[in-house]
Amino acid sequence: MNFESSEIPKIVIVGHVDHGKSSFIGRFLYDIQEITEEKVLELKKASESRGVEFEFAFLLDALQDERDQGITIDTTRIFFKTKTRKYVFIDSPGHKEFIRNMITGAASADIAVLIVDVNEGVKQQTRKHAYLLKLLGIETVITIYNKMDLIKYNEDKFKKTRVKLDNYLSDINVQSYASIPVSSKLGDNISTKSKKMEWYIGKTFIEVLDSFDISKNSDSEFLRFPVQDIYKIKDKRVIVGKIELGKLSKGKDLIFLPSNERVKIKTLEAWPSARKEYQRGDSVGITLTEQIFVDKGNMASDTVKPPKLMNRFESNIFWLTGKKIFFNKNYLMKINTGEYQIRIKEIKNIVDTENLNLKRSKNVEKNDICEVVIHSSQLIPLDDYSFNKSTARFCLLDDEEIVAGGIINSKNYPDQREKNEYIKKNIVPVNFSVNEIDRSIKFNHRPGIIWLTGLSGSGKSTIAKNVEKKLFKKNYNIFSLDGDNLRIGLNKNLAFSPEDRTENIRRTAEVAKLFTQAGFIVLVSLISPYRSERKRARDIRPELFREIYIKASVEVCLKRDVKGLYAKALKGEIKDFTGISSPYEEPEKPSLIINTSKEEVEESVRKLENFIEKEFSF
Amino acid sequence: MNPNLRKLENESIYILRQAFKSIPNIAMLWSLGKDSNVMVWLAFKAFLGKIPFPLVHVDTGKKFKQMYSFRDKFVKKWKVNLIKGTCPPLSKIDPSLPPAARSAARKTSGLKNILKKNKFKGIIAGIRRDEQGTRAKERIFSPRDEHGNWDTKNQPPEFWDQSNFNYPESVHIRIHPLLGWTELDIWQYIKNENIPVVDLYFSKNGKRYRSLGDKDITFPVESSAKTVDEIIKELQVSKISERSGRAMDHEDENVFERLRSSGYM
Repeated sequence: MNFESSEIPKIVIVGHVDHGKSSFIGRFLYDIQEITEEKVLELKKASESRGVEFEFAFLLDALQDERDQGITIDTTRIFFKTKTRKYVFIDSPGHKEFIRNMITGAASADIAVLIVDVNEGVKQQTRKHAYLLKLLGIETVITIYNKMDLIKYNEDKFKKTRVKLDNYLSDINVQSYASIPVSSKLGDNISTKSKKMEWYIGKTFIEVLDSFDISKNSDSEFLRFPVQDIYKIKDKRVIVGKIELGKLSKGKDLIFLPSNERVKIKTLEAWPSARKEYQRGDSVGITLTEQIFVDKGNMASDTVKPPKLMNRFESNIFWLTGKKIFFNKNYLMKINTGEYQIRIKEIKNIVDTENLNLKRSKNVEKNDICEVVIHSSQLIPLDDYSFNKSTARFCLLDDEEIVAGGIINSKNYPDQREKNEYIKKNIVPVNFSVNEIDRSIKFNHRPGIIWLTGLSGSGKSTIAKNVEKKLFKKNYNIFSLDGDNLRIGLNKNLAFSPEDRTENIRRTAEVAKLFTQAGFIVLVSLISPYRSERKRARDIRPELFREIYIKASVEVCLKRDVKGLYAKALKGEIKDFTGISSPYEEPEKPSLIINTSKEEVEESVRKLENFIEKEFSF
Repeated sequence: MNPNLRKLENESIYILRQAFKSIPNIAMLWSLGKDSNVMVWLAFKAFLGKIPFPLVHVDTGKKFKQMYSFRDKFVKKWKVNLIKGTCPPLSKIDPSLPPAARSAARKTSGLKNILKKNKFKGIIAGIRRDEQGTRAKERIFSPRDEHGNWDTKNQPPEFWDQSNFNYPESVHIRIHPLLGWTELDIWQYIKNENIPVVDLYFSKNGKRYRSLGDKDITFPVESSAKTVDEIIKELQVSKISERSGRAMDHEDENVFERLRSSGYM
């Protein structure tokens, strides 16, 4: 193995709070002379100023809060080398408050070190961390029994703790690669063999580390290429992404999901020039022999063994927040390069990591690990975790926060791709002589429905009008559908009752759909106050639909009252007026929020214009 | 290219593309140093020859003249869109900071002004974990509040290539594509790709600059390394830290964290 050029293993160290993770790393690096003298002086000063003994942990606990409180808050990394190879140490906090930081650190590790204070024995976070490692895909650990000096290097006590931990690890199917009794404080068995533990015949930590094989056994070489983005470069459409599995080369046959379309690779694209073949881990671009619709979040694969296409599946998740799980709430699932609205339909059980009992309960608490059933309104290309880890895991967002991570178990639900293939066989498609793709290529952009929702007077039509004009000048094929104008013609038999509003929206969405088939980007300005109706509109062409929330408070709109409608509504002359006598349900996850009570019109217009260009131009 | 560099390059390209896709209005800091030149190079790779966002040079007015001529030469050669920003005078900066750090903090103010003026929602910075302990604690996509402050106690989780981009309007995100690189990786990559750097990095009269900042608070270190190859050789055995010539790092234990928490790179 070439010392300078091989890949660098990342080692994460986990375990219960105060069992000595940061100190262990500090001690180890000091012993192998990977800490500069300058640094040692700095740490001495930091220790003295806090009136504590020389603290190796300060090497990693660089934040003032960490040093003052003597705990690790956030994960960190430090680079070092032994005589055999280079490494990165990932330190992680042991306090249960900071599990999310432990996960952030451990998720990218190649090797895990689980540390236990022999004096305290196996504790709550020892078990929790071991279980999380398993979920993070690490199935082999090096176990370190620290603070041997505190138990006078007693072999029996060490063995008792080891048996306990080994039993737990074997119950969760994690291998222990080596079990090493050490003292971080005095340096026993870390880089040199301890003279105080003659009974220990195993290797020192450094010997164990250097012998650890990290070469990944890539048992499956089927392609997984999630589409990260699409760039228009001169007259080429380049699909870029990172290969998660398998290889890419010119001429290769691909299937894209969810469309299930088959196509060949025309060219490989890289700057300044492309290689002949790319493999797992490579960031690369491709062009295709035929123009098909490919979008961010799609997944390309070989024609054999493509990913599954599912809208229902089971998952083991770790829950990272104090918020409760709600069954009727949409969460944003980020998987590979795609984003999907999902719901958690059922909590099958919660794992008690203390004793591995399964609880049946709906009350998931922060840091719990549980098994859930997930439903999505869209089909998601994914794999089973046992097939390929990197395309079978996701995170969930609730508003502005990552609330969970999870891995997919697809076994108990059907693959919809197979079902789709079956349906396709039984439907004879009508062949249009000019199709949507031909049109978009001519117009140089994709069609789309830009749905502007918001109160009367919030500025929907004004913004739409201006954006239409600007993009028209840039040669966009763009058209504005306005709620008020439609009510003069197509929708003139409709009033403002909930039923009529629903029909109004349905017709408008259908008209918008026709326009997209003609290659247009349609700006729809419609109050559309109900979430359910906007969802129905979205479902007509979900891949082209973008919900834009034109936000302004009732007070602001009332003050503007350009059409004098609010005044009439307040007098009771107009019934069912949104914001006054009829509700407005704010969008939960709009693609864009334009706050017209804070922004000038020009800014709002520019925002929407940029958004459309970014989303729909080639 | 060796597997380690290839892996770092692939990851950085992925991060840059992710930033461009997920954050509406971004820019890249170009300090004219070795790291930011590597970053510009990676952006050419990520976006296949044309960088789709501006580069920003926060100019303290106190850089070395070699740096300014380097900038002017490569703006033309690389055809990049450059935004130059100025920094407020020292008198406008928190007087409780030690002198060198106070001087460095001008850059924070300059950066804040540029962010505000251009309404950037994301700013790409070339910091690395091996430079400094608080930088080692960073996320790849790191949110900053409306005052540019970094909340070290409450960083978002980041795992499996997934990061959070859903923040309130007032938040901007610092993007750190070089976080996993070391100083040695940077020089090996510069050699491998033949990336230009300012000649202040090469030894003259037994000294060279390992890290470039304002000329009054940056000092050269003892070195005989006159070429990229010699620098690589030197770093493979050196026990002296990269930023030892940066005065601001050595004034007080907490000074770098203070600077960073309030928006320094």
